[in-house]
Amino acid sequence: MADADATADADANANLTEYVTLVSNDGFEFKILRSAAYLAGAIKNSLKPTYGFKEGSENRVDLPTINGVVLEKVCEYLYYNQKHAESKDVPDMEIPPELCLELLIAADYLDV
Amino acid sequence: MALEYPLANNISAHEIRNSYRLRREQAEAAEAAEAAANGEEPSGQPANGDNETQDEEDEEAAQAESSAMAAERSRKRKRDQDEAIAKIKKGKVNKKKAAKKKKAGSDEGSDFEMADMYKKAKPLPGQLENCEICEKRFTVTAYSKAGPDGGLLCTPCGKEMTKEAKANEKASKPVIRKARRKIESNRLDGFTSRGSKTLQQLCIEKLAKHSEDIDEFGEMPEAIMNRLSEIFGKKRAMNSTTFKLFLQPDLDKLAIHEAAYLETEDFDQIFAVIPSIKKLSLRNCCQFKDSNMEYMTEKAKSLVELELRGANLVSNDHWINFFITRGGELKTLKLEWLDAAFDDQAVEALSTFCVNLERLKLERCKQLTVNSIDAIARLENLEHLTLKFCHEVPRERLVNLISQVGANLRTLCLENFLDNVNEPTDDVLDAIHNTCHYLSKFRFSDSNECSDAGYVNLFTEWDNPPLSSIDVSSTRDLDNTSPEGPEDFPIGLASAGFKALMAHSGSKIEYLDVASCRHIDHETFANVFDGAKQYPFLREINMSFCPVVDTQIVAAIFRSCPRVKKVVTFGCFEVQDVVVPRGIVLIGAPKAHDAIEQFGDTVMDFQRELQKEMGRVVPGVFFGVLRHGLPWMGEKATMRA
Repeated sequence: MADADATADADANANLTEYVTLVSNDGFEFKILRSAAYLAGAIKNSLKPTYGFKEGSENRVDLPTINGVVLEKVCEYLYYNQKHAESKDVPDMEIPPELCLELLIAADYLDV
Repeated sequence: MALEYPLANNISAHEIRNSYRLRREQAEAAEAAEAAANGEEPSGQPANGDNETQDEEDEEAAQAESSAMAAERSRKRKRDQDEAIAKIKKGKVNKKKAAKKKKAGSDEGSDFEMADMYKKAKPLPGQLENCEICEKRFTVTAYSKAGPDGGLLCTPCGKEMTKEAKANEKASKPVIRKARRKIESNRLDGFTSRGSKTLQQLCIEKLAKHSEDIDEFGEMPEAIMNRLSEIFGKKRAMNSTTFKLFLQPDLDKLAIHEAAYLETEDFDQIFAVIPSIKKLSLRNCCQFKDSNMEYMTEKAKSLVELELRGANLVSNDHWINFFITRGGELKTLKLEWLDAAFDDQAVEALSTFCVNLERLKLERCKQLTVNSIDAIARLENLEHLTLKFCHEVPRERLVNLISQVGANLRTLCLENFLDNVNEPTDDVLDAIHNTCHYLSKFRFSDSNECSDAGYVNLFTEWDNPPLSSIDVSSTRDLDNTSPEGPEDFPIGLASAGFKALMAHSGSKIEYLDVASCRHIDHETFANVFDGAKQYPFLREINMSFCPVVDTQIVAAIFRSCPRVKKVVTFGCFEVQDVVVPRGIVLIGAPKAHDAIEQFGDTVMDFQRELQKEMGRVVPGVFFGVLRHGLPWMGEKATMRA
C-alpha cells in the first residue's frame, strides 16, 4: 500500500528509509515497515521529519515503557492491521490472555 | 466416483430385485402354510412372516386343547394377537434396518469391485501388505484405511489421513454464517466493518472473556477503565468479583454501566474504598437500597455527579435526606426508571437544596407530576435539562418552566410532553424561541400538538447560534382517518419547518433526527439535499418512516454531507439500489435487498478530494464506481424535478 504521507515526505526528505527500528526497554530491536509503524499514532508523530525529533532523523524509536514480548505483539498487530486494512469481517488477532493488560496499556500509549 | 456411482447403483438395483423376489416367495410359502393350518383365516391378510404363523399355530393348538374355557381363551387370544402384531411390527422395522445396512454394505463392496476390476486384488484382513505412504509392512485389518491411490495404509498413516480429512472438512465450512448475527448487530450500531479492530478494543474484549482470572488492573487511564466497564457490562461479566477490579482508591470517577448482578454490600464497597469519589454512575443498580443511600450520604463528601438508573429500592425519605445533606455540592443529577418511589416531594427537596445543579435529567420517573415541573423551574443554574414525564403536563406550566430556566440552557430535551386538556397551540415553541439563546442540543419529540408554522417561527430569526444536535422525531399529526394530515395547516415538523430548521442550523449540525416527520414532502428533501448545498458537519441523519425519501435523496445526502457516517432509513420504501460510498453505513433500507450489503464499497469522486486532504490515497477509485454501473452523474440525470 502506498502511503500518501510517506511518498509525499519522501520527495522532501530523501533519507527516509523503508524500514524503521522500534526498541523495547529490554533492548530488543524490531525493524518493521515504515507504513506499518505509522499506524500507531505515537510512533508516527515521533518519526515525522516535519516535527524534527531525533527519532525522525535516526529512524529509530525507543520505547522505554514497553518490554520486548509486548512490543513483538504490537508489531504483529501493526502488520495484521496493515494487511487487513481493506478487507471486511477481519478475524480477530489472537492475543494470549496473560499479555492483555500490558498490551492494553501499550496500545493506549501508542494510540493503536 | 462419478462414473462408478451409476454402475454401483445398477448392481444394487439388481440385488434389490433379487431380494424382493426372494421375500415374495418366502411370504407366499408362509401364507400357503398358514392357510393350510387355519382354514378360517382369510388369505388376503398381509403376509407377516414366520412369527405370526408361529403364533397362530400355538393358538390353534391351545384351542384344540380345551374348548371349555373357550370364552376366556378367546379374550386372551385377542390380547395375544395384539401383542403379536406389535411384535411383528417391531420386527419389520428391524428387518428393514438390517436390509438397509446390508444394502449399503453391498453397495460399497460392489463399488470396490468395479473400481478394482483392473487392479490387483486387495489383501484380505489378516494378510500382510506394504503401506502406500510409508512403505512399511503391516497386517491388514478390517479397519485399514484406503490411501489416495487406492492402496492400503498402515494404522499411523490411516490416522493421519482421517485427521487431515476432518481438518479439510472444517476449513471448507463457511465461517461467515456464524458471525452473521455479530455483523448485523455491528451494522445497527453503525460500525463500518472495514479493516481490523483497534488493538485496544481487541485487548479489552479478550480481558472481558477472561474476567474471572484477573487479579487487578493496575494503573489504567480513566478512559480505558470506562471502556473496560462498558465491555464488561455488555458481556454480562460485571459481578461482585470483577466489580472489585474497578474499585481503585485514587479514582475520581466510577461508571458501572450494568450493575444488575451487584449485591447491596458491593455498593457500600464503592464508598468504603473510594471515599473521595466525585463522579458516580450506576445503571440498573436494582439492589441499591436505603442502607446504601445512607452510607453514600455519610461517606461520599466530594460527590458532584450522580447517575442512578433503576434504583427502585430507595425510599422517598432517603432521597430527601440525601438532597438535604449532599445537594449543595451536586452539579449533575441523572435519574431514570424510578417508579416505586421518588415523587414530587423529592423533587421539591431537590430544587430546594441542590441549588448549584447544572445538569438535570429525569426520565421515566413515574411518580412525578406537574408539581415537579414547577419545582424544577426554580433551579436557576441549570444548563442542561432533559425531561421525560409519564403524566400529562398542562402547557402553561411547561411554558413557565422554559421561561424561568431557558435563558442559560445549552441542552433542552423534552420528550413526550402532551397536554390533552387544552387546545393545541405553539406556545412551547414560542417560549423556546423567545427565551433560549445558547442551545446547542435540542430535542422535542413525540409531540403532535405543535404546528408546522410553530417550527417555522422557532427557527426563523432565532438569535440562538446554529444547533449541533436536533431531534424532532415523531412530531406529526396522529389522525388515522387522514394520514396526510390537514393540508392547509400542517401539524408537526413539515416541509416549511424542515427548510427553516436546515436554514438555521445546517452550517453546524452534526446530528439530525426527523424520523416519522411524515409531512415533509419530497420536493423539500430534494431542495435541502440537492448535492450542491453542503452540510459540512453532519455525521448522522435519521429519516426513518419519512415515506417520500428515495434513492435520489439518499444519494444526494452522501454528496451534501461530506462527513456523514450513518444514514438511517427504516420504512423508506423508495430507497432502493443506492450506491453507498466507503465509510458510510446505510441502515434499514427495506427494499434494497439486492444490495443488502449496505457498507459502502465505492470511493466516490468527492470522497477522493476529502481523502487527499486527509492524506490517504486508495487505489482503484474509478473502477469501483464504474463496476457498480451507477456513477453519481448517471443518477443525477434520472433525478425527479
